Amino acid sequence: MIFIAILIGCILGAILGMNAPMISYTYSSYLAIAIIAALDSVFGGIASVMKKNFDLKIFISGFFGNAILAILLTILGQKLNVDIYLAAIVVFVWRMFMNLGIIRRYYVEKWTEKLTKKEK
Amino acid sequence: MKKGKTTMIITAGIVCFILAIVMTMQFKIVNETDITSIENMRKTELQEELANWKTKYEETNQKYEETKQKIDEYKANQESNEQAAQLIEEELEQAEMLMGTTDVEGQGIIVTVRDLENEEMVENIDSGDLILIINSLRAAGAEAISINDERIITMSDIVDINEGGYIKVNLEKRIFSPYVIKAIGDPAYLESSLIGNGGHVDKLKKAGHEISIEQKDKVTINKYDEEIKTKYIVD
Repeated sequence: MIFIAILIGCILGAILGMNAPMISYTYSSYLAIAIIAALDSVFGGIASVMKKNFDLKIFISGFFGNAILAILLTILGQKLNVDIYLAAIVVFVWRMFMNLGIIRRYYVEKWTEKLTKKEK
Repeated sequence: MKKGKTTMIITAGIVCFILAIVMTMQFKIVNETDITSIENMRKTELQEELANWKTKYEETNQKYEETKQKIDEYKANQESNEQAAQLIEEELEQAEMLMGTTDVEGQGIIVTVRDLENEEMVENIDSGDLILIINSLRAAGAEAISINDERIITMSDIVDINEGGYIKVNLEKRIFSPYVIKAIGDPAYLESSLIGNGGHVDKLKKAGHEISIEQKDKVTINKYDEEIKTKYIVD
């Protein structure tokens, strides 16, 4: 059920995004950092589901909050002439790898459990 | 279905929806943005490009200035050449005038010397008299002299032929009385060199010759007719 919702959301979003007006190249860097932040939140959410401590409020607030914060940081960085968005990208990608690692470990463990059960 | 699960499904859908929108928009921007087109460029990039063009402009400008300077130089050269040519031409004219290869005119005097006919006791005018007169004129600063319209130049000769039968000027020209000597120069000087104490005209006059001297504002002296040939002068 949840997968259907995700799929529908993705397709609808893709269609709408294709038809959305072009945004100036100047703002694309903000958008990119927001995407990285949002992806990080999504992977974090999935990881927390695996760990069974998923909280919807934390997930939603992290999703939007991180994105907005990343954009604001990038703007601040441009004002200060410091590439803060690089730091944001490093942190988010690092966390993404961490969360992906948690997810991978969860599935690998599940799989090995299944295999050992079969052998028995 | 539990209430919590429904909200979660809806939230997941919304989150994915937003994420998909933003991502596709970003893909589209990255795909379709032509980096070189100015409208989508960032300020810094534009500044860089501007600086590039500025340096290019400066280089071209410098080249232009250099070329302009060169052209100016060439022009100046040409002008100086023209000036030199003009100067040479003037010099040539002057030289020709002095050489006697051109008609000249200016203020001067006309001396007319006549042989006395039927007067046995008086000797005819000979070349020596003419030479003395011409020499006196030259001494008084005559710039051009002619006898009977024969221009006297540096190589001119005045020679008696047949013992006073006639006088030959400029190699082959025979001249007869009356001898009209024209000279260009300061008329007063020229005249004073001929008359007065020791002047040759005075002597001739005393000898009984008929001589008239006219001062004129405008005397025209013809050019030397023949070609001036040099055969032995090398260089």
